[in-house]
Amino acid sequence: MANLIVASLVGLQSRWRERQIGKRRLSRPLLLAALAVAALVATPLAYLLLRAATAPAETWARLLQTRLLGLLTNTLALMAAVTLGTVVLGVALAWLVERTDLPGRPVWRWLLAVPLAMPAFIGAVVHVALLRPRGGIVPRFLAETLGVDWQGPSPFGFWGAAFMLTLFMYPYVYLLSAAAFRNLHASLEEAARSLGRNAWQTLWTVTLPVLRPGLAAGALLVALDVLAEYGTVALLRYETFSAAIFLQLSGRYDRSAAAILSGGLVVIALAVLAIELWLQGRARAEQVGGHWRPAPPQPLRAWRWPAFALVAAVSLATVFVPVTVLAAWTVQGLRDGPTLAELDRAAGRGLGHYLFNSLWSAGLAAGLAVALSVPVAYLAVRYPRWTSRGLSHLCQVGYALPGVVVALSLILLTNTALPALRGLPLVVVLAYVVRHMPQAVRSSQAALAQLAPSLEEAGRSLGRDSLNVLLTVTVPLIFPGLLAGAALVFLTSLKELPATLLLRPAGFDTLAVRVWLAANDGLYPQAAPAALLLTLCAAVPLAFLLRRGRI
Amino acid sequence: MAPRHPATDECMPALELLDITKQYAPGAARAVDAVSLAVQKGEILSLLGPSGCGKTSTLRLIAGFERPDAGVIRLNGQTVTGPGHWVPPERRGIGMVFQDYALFPHLTVRQNVGFGLQGRAAARIQDTVAHLLELLGLRGLAERYPHELSGGERQRVALARALAPEPVLILLDEPFSSLDADRRAAVREQVRATLRSLGATALFVTHDQEEALFLGDRLAILHQGRLQQIDTPEAIFHSPATRFVAEFLGHTDFLPGEVTADGILTEIGLIPQRVALPIGAPVELAMRADDVTLEPARGGARALVLARHFKGAQNVYRVRLPSGRLLHSLQPHTLNLRSGTPVRVWAAAGHPLACFHDGQRVPAAEL
Repeated sequence: MANLIVASLVGLQSRWRERQIGKRRLSRPLLLAALAVAALVATPLAYLLLRAATAPAETWARLLQTRLLGLLTNTLALMAAVTLGTVVLGVALAWLVERTDLPGRPVWRWLLAVPLAMPAFIGAVVHVALLRPRGGIVPRFLAETLGVDWQGPSPFGFWGAAFMLTLFMYPYVYLLSAAAFRNLHASLEEAARSLGRNAWQTLWTVTLPVLRPGLAAGALLVALDVLAEYGTVALLRYETFSAAIFLQLSGRYDRSAAAILSGGLVVIALAVLAIELWLQGRARAEQVGGHWRPAPPQPLRAWRWPAFALVAAVSLATVFVPVTVLAAWTVQGLRDGPTLAELDRAAGRGLGHYLFNSLWSAGLAAGLAVALSVPVAYLAVRYPRWTSRGLSHLCQVGYALPGVVVALSLILLTNTALPALRGLPLVVVLAYVVRHMPQAVRSSQAALAQLAPSLEEAGRSLGRDSLNVLLTVTVPLIFPGLLAGAALVFLTSLKELPATLLLRPAGFDTLAVRVWLAANDGLYPQAAPAALLLTLCAAVPLAFLLRRGRI
Repeated sequence: MAPRHPATDECMPALELLDITKQYAPGAARAVDAVSLAVQKGEILSLLGPSGCGKTSTLRLIAGFERPDAGVIRLNGQTVTGPGHWVPPERRGIGMVFQDYALFPHLTVRQNVGFGLQGRAAARIQDTVAHLLELLGLRGLAERYPHELSGGERQRVALARALAPEPVLILLDEPFSSLDADRRAAVREQVRATLRSLGATALFVTHDQEEALFLGDRLAILHQGRLQQIDTPEAIFHSPATRFVAEFLGHTDFLPGEVTADGILTEIGLIPQRVALPIGAPVELAMRADDVTLEPARGGARALVLARHFKGAQNVYRVRLPSGRLLHSLQPHTLNLRSGTPVRVWAAAGHPLACFHDGQRVPAAEL
């Protein structure tokens, strides 16, 4: 997220540089390296689409008749609801935190971003355990202590999934619009006021339209994430494309059907990407001129405490309740003999083992993704032309590839072309790299765009060749940007569930997998320590990113 | 407040500030300190001062983006800010040109200029916008977005947008500071012509003297939140009200002296000028280069020529007095002295020199 913000901010600058640099001859080794990276990222997708196209006709017919329409409406409905929900919630929270006199703003600023450290499915586990109509903690408590028979709204189905995903995905929109609110020139709103618009009209005719690129970027991330989501929707028994593909793959082993469904999913994702590009259009909301001055906070007056209650409720539902429940289960598990024994028995392959697997696979993926992104980003920023931009866009196709799709394409590929890789944890890492490469490419591009080409030219003029300059001048200077990209890839890889579940060799359990398997069997006290540990690990790169983005 | 006499309505000022005071934080210096001024209809007033003098704060108070701690602001005689009165910025009918122009990046030039005209008939909006675009030479740019314009074009769009709703008063906040020096003169010329041709009332903030003199009918000089002087440029130049004004307008040296019975005794001799101060009081005299004359000394010289600046028809000499104090002297180009030449220096103003005591102007006394 943070690097997306950076990328959108430096957009103007990099375009300016294009004119300054003019046309330089493409460096051949660099081009070959970038081509190799693009091939690595794009091959699985190409192969998948090929398999979908060549699937048996009767599979196509069967799916078209029975599944496709229902899955399509289910998926689109959830995507629309969650995108809308996150935009409303995210913008409202960002406005409250950045532009009003809400009590406790410095604390909320951080707390509201914390849900990014927790995979949505862990939130869903807690949610289900609390609210399940029969046997949920809250209904049972009400019945046993107060004698009230309260079943509450069902946590399952469309509304349950939409609610949970909105709660855990709003930070994308929140962070991007908070940054946009902060960067907004106060004089724009003042200009609208001096031209006769009141505060409310100003919000709708100036502030929100100017924020639109940030909002669109956030909404896009949410929409693609909803498409990719598996754990939450499966747990809440709402069938989307991702869940159906997973089922085809893990249950029925019908890879042709899975390939067709994946093709459909990728088409939707690409459509979302295209809509975003179209939305950005010509009116890129670049604010011109300097003289930035922070806008004075809007007094909330009577709404101060209701607003506080809203923000507190969001934090309660996304941070405090899940963490408290997980902590309580952990303590319960440690005090309960049989569970402790169970944990102990698994100790040989216990928590430390899962933690180690999570850390090295996500860490390796982060390092690889960033290293591979450098030639692509360098080419796109320093040698801007359609070939280099095309390569950069190709490497960002991972945004449109949900985990299950990446997993399926890698399964197909390793089965036919690379049997040597089958059954190695390396395939899991490869899936992370393919899926999260866009984040690395965007961070590296943003970092490079901020670096004056004259620094590299100075290096060249002092007698070093281009590779030498890249390694001794460019990379050290853009290192903080690369680190941010790595942190982002690490964070998202750590939380990745479906690709890991489908690709992992026997015995390769990560924290996310462990939480999922235990929670699916209803063994909450066993799932809880891993869930807490996972959230803690994810909080570290998140904190780094938030500090960097001065959130 | 005394009730307003009907007869005064004829020459009622477009804008009136009475003792406006603003302090941003308790204990901080007052950004605006009891400022009172009036702008007549059709007049352009330049608000001039160094950065941080409170001029932008004054503008924002008038526009209604800030609330003063005390004082009254009237627009066309109607109180918009004052005890028990508050008119929000959108209902004041004040146009503003911002320092960064604040053009809406998501709207075209046409939409920007028409932004303040909502609620009017579409045909009228179209006419007004077309007229202003024509007037400011922006006709071909109507469908462009702000980021596709040059600095000067943005400036003109900002002015057109502020003028479109026919505001009672138009405020310009350092409107030329973002322009390149070579574009500035042309844009300034056009802005002045436009404001004049529309008979607009304007308050214009700048830290650039030359700009203030060029654009303003009158000048108001602000320093540390206080209004130092408000008058025509000529009056201010000839008769600065405070030492700050004299110093800020520049090209002035200050020579300390002491009041005696016959005049003011200074390092360069007695200046026969009476002031209303007791004998022995310390004063400072403002001396411009044309008030000081010199000639090569024949022995026993006490001042030295430091440098000569050739200005075509004239030479400006920088002279160091024995005390180390510097004076400038304007001499004909025929007088050519080298650096290091010893000279005799004396005052030859032909008019009373501005005299300051404690930074304030001291009135001349009857002889």
